[in-house]
Amino acid sequence: MLQKVLTKSNKSDLYLDLIELASGLLLVGFLWAHMLFVSTILISQEMFNTLSEFLDTYYLSYVGIPFIIVVALFHFVIAGRRIPTRIQEQRIVWQHAKMLHHFDTWTWVFQTITGMAILMLAAIHVWLVLTGWPINAMNSADRMAAFWWFYLVLLFIGEYHAGFGIYRQFVKWGMFPRKPIGYVAKLITVIIVVLGLAAMVAFVRLGGGA
Amino acid sequence: MADRQLTFEIFRYNPLKPEVAPYMQTYKLAETTGMTIFVALNMIREEQDPSLMFDFVCRAAICGSCAMVINGRPRLACKTLTNTLPAKIKLFPLPVFKLVGDLSVDTGTWFRYLSEKTESWVHTSKVPDPKIQEERMDNAVANQIYEAERCIECGCCIAGCATANIRDEFLGAAGINRVARFMVDPRDERSFGEYFEIVGSEEGAFGCMGLMACDDNCPMELPLQMQLAYVRRKMAAYGLGYKEKKRIKPA
Repeated sequence: MLQKVLTKSNKSDLYLDLIELASGLLLVGFLWAHMLFVSTILISQEMFNTLSEFLDTYYLSYVGIPFIIVVALFHFVIAGRRIPTRIQEQRIVWQHAKMLHHFDTWTWVFQTITGMAILMLAAIHVWLVLTGWPINAMNSADRMAAFWWFYLVLLFIGEYHAGFGIYRQFVKWGMFPRKPIGYVAKLITVIIVVLGLAAMVAFVRLGGGA
Repeated sequence: MADRQLTFEIFRYNPLKPEVAPYMQTYKLAETTGMTIFVALNMIREEQDPSLMFDFVCRAAICGSCAMVINGRPRLACKTLTNTLPAKIKLFPLPVFKLVGDLSVDTGTWFRYLSEKTESWVHTSKVPDPKIQEERMDNAVANQIYEAERCIECGCCIAGCATANIRDEFLGAAGINRVARFMVDPRDERSFGEYFEIVGSEEGAFGCMGLMACDDNCPMELPLQMQLAYVRRKMAAYGLGYKEKKRIKPA
C-alpha cells in the first residue's frame, strides 16, 4: 500500500514508547516530590514557607512549573495514543474488560479515565495556584479550606494514575515479576495518599474551614 | 460435588446461516466426578444437541484446539474441571479469531500468519552434514528455548489481550514470545536488526500496553511478562544504537 510504504518509519513506535516511559517517570517523580514538599506543612508552617521561598528565590518554580506542564501535555498526547478513538473500539474494550474479570485490564481502563480527568483537574489546580501566587502556607490553607473536596478528588485520581502507571511501566520494561512490583507501587501510593490527606487536614484547620 | 446440576449457557451462531441472529442456548447436565468442560460439551452433543459446534483433538492440553471463553476467561475446555466453576457456566468462542460456528474458531489461519510474519524457522547458512554429530547446545540455552517453545498456539493470550481485540495486525504475546524464542537460539543467524523489522513496532513489542491478561490466562503458564519485557528491552537497545552480537557458540 502506497501510503504505508511512504510513511514507514522504522523507529517511530520505539521513540513514542520511550517518550511515554520517560514522561511518565518524570511525572510520577514530580508528583511524589510535590506531595512530599506539600507535607512539610505537617512539620511546621515555617518549614513549608521556607521551602516555597527557596524554590521561588532560585527560580526553580518558574522553570519547573512550565517544564512539568509541557511534559504533562506530551504525556497526555503520547500515552493517550493507546486510547481507542473509534466508538466501536471503545465498546470492544469495555465489553472485553467486563467479560474478562481481570484486575490489570480494569485498572488500565480506569487509567485512561483518570488520565482524562487529571488533564482537566490539574489544569484547574495550576490555574488556582498561579492566580494565587506566591505559594505560602496561608494562601494554601485558604485555597484548601475552600476547595478541599476538589483536592480530595485530585489526590486520589492523581495517585491512582501515578501508582498504576509506574507499575505498568515496570511490568513492560522491567526484569522483575509483577507481584513484588505491585506491592511496592501500592505501598508507596498508600504512603503518599496518607501524607496528602494529613496535609489536607492540616491546611483546612489552618484555613479555619473545620 | 458430584450431584450438582450444571446449567450451560452457550453462544450459538452459524455464520453460514446469517439469517439466524446470535443467541444463547441453555443446556442442563448432571455433573460427574472429574468432569471437564470438554467432557460436558461432548455429553451435550451426544445426548442433547448434535448441532453444537466446538473443537477438540487431544483432550490433554497439548493441541490447543479447545480454547474458549469459560465464564469470561479464555481457557482450555479439556483442562478446566467443572468443579472449579459455579453451577452456571457461560461459554463463548474466543474473540479475535474467525468464527467457524458456535464455540469453534479458526486459530489456524491467524497462527499461520504469525509464523510467516515472524519467519518461525531457524535461519542458517550452514548446510547440515548427516554424517557428523550435531552441534551441542548449552543446557541453559536449550531450556530457555524450550520454555518459549511450550506454546501450544491455543490463542488464549490473544483472546485475552485488549490490544489484539482492537488491532488486527498486533502479534500479541504468542508472536512476541515466538520471536524471543529465536532471539535466544544460537543457531538462528538473524541479526537484531532483522528481529527489529518484525517486532520493533506497534505490531509487535511496542504495541503491548502491559495489561498482562496474556500472562494471567496462558494455560501453559508461559512466563509471558518476562518474554515480552525481554523482547521490548532488546528491541529498544537495538533501536537506540546499542550493537549486540548474538551469543558466540561454543566449538
